Amino acid sequence: MAKGDKKNEWKEFFWNPRTREFCGRTASSWGLIFLFYLAFYIFLAGMFILTMYVMLLTLDDNKPTYQDRLATPGLMIRPKGEEMEIIYAKENTESWDTHVQALNSFLSPYNDSVQEQKNYACKPDQYFKQEDSDSVKNNPKRSCQFRRSILEDCSGLTDRYYGYDEGKPCIIIKLNRVIGMLPGKDGQAPSISCAPKKYKIGKDEWIDDTDKMGEVAYFPRNGTFNLMYFPYYGKKAQVNYSQPLVAIKFLNITLNTEINVECKITANNIPNLNERDKFAGRVSFKLRINSRN
Amino acid sequence: MRYSTSITKGLSSTFAQEVLERDGPNELKPPKGTPEYVKFARQLAGGLQCLMWVAAVICFIAFGIEISKGEISGYDDLYLAITLIAVVVVTGCFGYYQEFKSTNIIASFKNLVPQQALVIRDGQKNQINANLLVVGDLVEIKGGDRVPADIRVITSQGCKVPNIQNTPRTHPILFRSTVWLSGTERICECMFPCKELEKETLQSVYFPPLQVCLSLTAKRLARKNCVVKNLEAVETLGSTSVLCSDKTGTLTQNRMTVAHLWFDNMIHAADTTEDQSGQSFDQSSETWRALGRVASLCNRAVFKPNQETVPIPKRIVVGDASETALLKFTELTIGNIIDYRGRFKKICEVPFNSTNKFQLSIHELEDPLDLRYLLVMKGAPERILERCSTILIKGQELPLDEQWKEAFQTAYMDLGGLGERVLGFCHIYLNEKEFPRGYTFDTDEMNFTTSGLCFAGLISMIDPPRATVPDAVMKCRTAGIRVVMVTGDHPITARAIAANVGIISEGSETVEDIATRLRIPVEQVKKSDARACVINGGQLKDMTSDELDDALRNHPEMVFARTSPQQKLIIVESCQRLGSIVAVTGDGVNDSPALKKADIGIAMGIAGSDAAKNAADMILLDDNFASIVTGVEQGRLIFDNLKKSIAYTLTKNIPELTPYLIYITVSVPLPLGCITILFIELATDIFPSVSLAYEKAESDIMHLKPRNPRRDRLVNEALAVYSYFQIGMMCFTDYFTAMAQEGWFPLLCVGLRSQWEDVRLQDLQDSYGQEWTYSQRLYQEYTCYTVFFVSIEVCQIADVLIRKTRRLSAFQQGFFRLVLFQLCLGNLLCYCPGMPNIFNFMPIRVQWWFVPLPYGILIFVYDEIRKLAVRRHPGSKYHTYFVKLFVHSLIFFFGHHWDKTVSWLC
Repeated sequence: MAKGDKKNEWKEFFWNPRTREFCGRTASSWGLIFLFYLAFYIFLAGMFILTMYVMLLTLDDNKPTYQDRLATPGLMIRPKGEEMEIIYAKENTESWDTHVQALNSFLSPYNDSVQEQKNYACKPDQYFKQEDSDSVKNNPKRSCQFRRSILEDCSGLTDRYYGYDEGKPCIIIKLNRVIGMLPGKDGQAPSISCAPKKYKIGKDEWIDDTDKMGEVAYFPRNGTFNLMYFPYYGKKAQVNYSQPLVAIKFLNITLNTEINVECKITANNIPNLNERDKFAGRVSFKLRINSRN
Repeated sequence: MRYSTSITKGLSSTFAQEVLERDGPNELKPPKGTPEYVKFARQLAGGLQCLMWVAAVICFIAFGIEISKGEISGYDDLYLAITLIAVVVVTGCFGYYQEFKSTNIIASFKNLVPQQALVIRDGQKNQINANLLVVGDLVEIKGGDRVPADIRVITSQGCKVPNIQNTPRTHPILFRSTVWLSGTERICECMFPCKELEKETLQSVYFPPLQVCLSLTAKRLARKNCVVKNLEAVETLGSTSVLCSDKTGTLTQNRMTVAHLWFDNMIHAADTTEDQSGQSFDQSSETWRALGRVASLCNRAVFKPNQETVPIPKRIVVGDASETALLKFTELTIGNIIDYRGRFKKICEVPFNSTNKFQLSIHELEDPLDLRYLLVMKGAPERILERCSTILIKGQELPLDEQWKEAFQTAYMDLGGLGERVLGFCHIYLNEKEFPRGYTFDTDEMNFTTSGLCFAGLISMIDPPRATVPDAVMKCRTAGIRVVMVTGDHPITARAIAANVGIISEGSETVEDIATRLRIPVEQVKKSDARACVINGGQLKDMTSDELDDALRNHPEMVFARTSPQQKLIIVESCQRLGSIVAVTGDGVNDSPALKKADIGIAMGIAGSDAAKNAADMILLDDNFASIVTGVEQGRLIFDNLKKSIAYTLTKNIPELTPYLIYITVSVPLPLGCITILFIELATDIFPSVSLAYEKAESDIMHLKPRNPRRDRLVNEALAVYSYFQIGMMCFTDYFTAMAQEGWFPLLCVGLRSQWEDVRLQDLQDSYGQEWTYSQRLYQEYTCYTVFFVSIEVCQIADVLIRKTRRLSAFQQGFFRLVLFQLCLGNLLCYCPGMPNIFNFMPIRVQWWFVPLPYGILIFVYDEIRKLAVRRHPGSKYHTYFVKLFVHSLIFFFGHHWDKTVSWLC
């Protein structure tokens, strides 16, 4: 009996023919409540948009308000491979063709013709500062040329396959863009250095693959990022900014073996020892070249 | 006789003491309760807790796999696992502590109403606690008592018990806790106070805040003389809409007291207050001296000895109710009555009997030279008047002519109309010649003058209302609770008391009153015109249930007189048919059905029988009506507070839910992390939601109508959906601000999720063209968590402020402690070193604390407006449907303890 009552109660709650109430409210009551919420949500939405708008107004177009997360710029390699692993077979063209194509497309904006057309040949070894004066904005800002040919053997101009077919692959390293960053103090340009990564094999036993990695060539020489590419003024002000690159080429790497490589940026004002961020000021990747011989 | 007990004298108390020491108290062994560690383990193994254990184990496994692989990328899994376990343990401890506390409170109630037993030891009857009984004790049991131990009945008359064992035997054996239904005082001998196990009473389990609220309120009520036997009763009490109250003892003081005197053709009011704080009448008249003398002498009642220190109204008297009243009255007005009586040596007396309807005694006079005898007489006024020929006016004996007789009639009617019991007093100095010293007065023959007496005056008595009752009734009225008097007394008395305490308000008329006023027959009066109605038991017997319902509907002020306890049940049922939540008071055995039937049965602690106490949900230790009202107030308070607490909890759930909704639908980087939510739920939230449950009553709590339990559930009103979204929005504003200021504009964030969370993507571009590594993004995400957390904190503060009072403005109550607590905890979590990597809290910029502030203020403003509206238009309902849906989905998600709660809510 009680159960039936409950059921009836619910039924009546859903539609009460006596009072003509649907879910405990009459049509006009529902209408009013609908109107109320409509108005209210319009008001809320308006307010949300307004506050967002006001918040956006306070922002600078060219420089973020805070950059404290980006104290140490990240490093990244090209080609990326799967999970930072570059594994291919020398003889199997298809296995490295994707890498070559990735490099080609990555480097196409660096073509000398493009660079010369769009960008400015700056004076090397010094920062290319284009500060705004108080009243006049110095926009758009010019960018310095980074010609693909600087990468020489790894430019893909002389060697179409970036050495992948010979088992001497090129890896391009780029430094993440951070607005206003001036790496390297006192005219000392930041440079990249790569070394085999140390890894643990047992308790307190570390080894690396020094012998297997062989010799590495840096392009441009010494693996430096020229100072003239800094600072960066943001994608709005400095539309054609060309990020400086460093290419490394493994000259006599041991084949058929896995090698862990870690590249670090060396600059006297970039702290690169962040335990938790493995890509801040450094990058590590795995390289394995298979060969039938 | 076994156990070498004397059947008249019982055991000697020294022997009883020895046996008590040997056998221990007469108590049932408490059931072997659940061991404490099991209770604690139960707290750790609830549904939600199990889920968290599983999650923690998974985290450990994940961490273990990482270790075995040799590459420890981070300790996140470990931290999460530890946090989860800590959370389960901490909440478990909290829950255990709460359960422990409320169990203790409930256990303590048992001792508040100990079972008493009337034991005969050393030939004297003594009231002792039942647990002090020993084997061989003689106990006396009367109807309605619970049998205090396993006993063997020695003598009994008309004994009726529900489950008598070994009936054919001469000395049937009764087991403890049997209710002795009827039968006169009987003597029984305690058998083996065997220590069987008490049945384990299952205690209902509510979700923790509810349990805390209920048990705390129960404790608070116990301090105010209401013992709650059943926790739910507290809450039901708050929704009571009809209160059927006994008269004697509950509304009244349960002692006859002289209320009025008529002498010198004037009605004088006596002081009827419990503490004699009222005004007394003019005592200078000669007539008063004569009347006082008659009242003192013609009285067989005496004080029990050794009560000199006790205030007169509280002294115990041997004698019937009227004589007691007169004794106390004369003791108060004239002085030491025993002395006084001693000065007027009593020669003989005729006690009251129902044929004569008078009582007389003959005394020598105080003055030893005056050798006349004085005959004093009291009795039913009309009988007394018949025997009088003169009347004492201002000390002068005047002939009792028609004029005086009419004056007497008027006074008698007036006093009778007040519902008072009126006695007439007269005296005569017997003729010295006819009745010289040594005359043998024969009380059977009445060989002395019993007519032509001199009328001294009338004294009327009533059981006066308790001092606090009129106030309490008034409170009930303002609280929308209807007080119905149900009494076995005479209708006129009942009505007079009802009018006196305000159950029948001033100016209210019954149908009969209107008929007399308009001089029309009763049948012609429109029933709805009469606010008040007095129905006596005889009428009630002839009424159909529909007629009774009609009467209850038509007359807001009802008094039932001359009712039997069975009729009380009918009245309760009728009230319930009309949709009321009924509370009923009762004391006798026969009241049990009504007490059981009522939504709240209230038994009297002093006058109540064990049977009534058994059937009741609540026991009034002081039998005082006003305590019920306190109970109602507390019941309402608990409902209010729970409502606040739940509203608070629900309100906060939305901002916790929206981040995930937005995260899934709009694909922004996750605004709020799991650990952060855990912190909100378990750290910053507990204090406010518990403190809301401890709130004091809002001042208008007793000015509102009782809630309708069918409509007005815990979560329906004022859980304004608007504030939910408002809060969600305010958190998002803060989130987007934090993102935008670091370089991620809102529009870029939309749809960014898959890239943002891509572990391999170490150069994701923000709105300015800067490139971010995964870790940098992760810390940015933590910053967002923290910002969101802080926003929720700000909204919680606003929320606490608005929830603290549901109707009244928030500015009255002190809330700085709460705010301070939240701020301190928030700051600790944000700025304590090590937090980013352990709990994913980042130190955030100070200005991000202030972004949500305008919204918080807005919430506050809304709510003050809403409260204004509620105050202006009370009783409107809000969001019933939405909230039902919402609550049901919540229940669906957090199945936990809620099933019980729901059945309670709905």
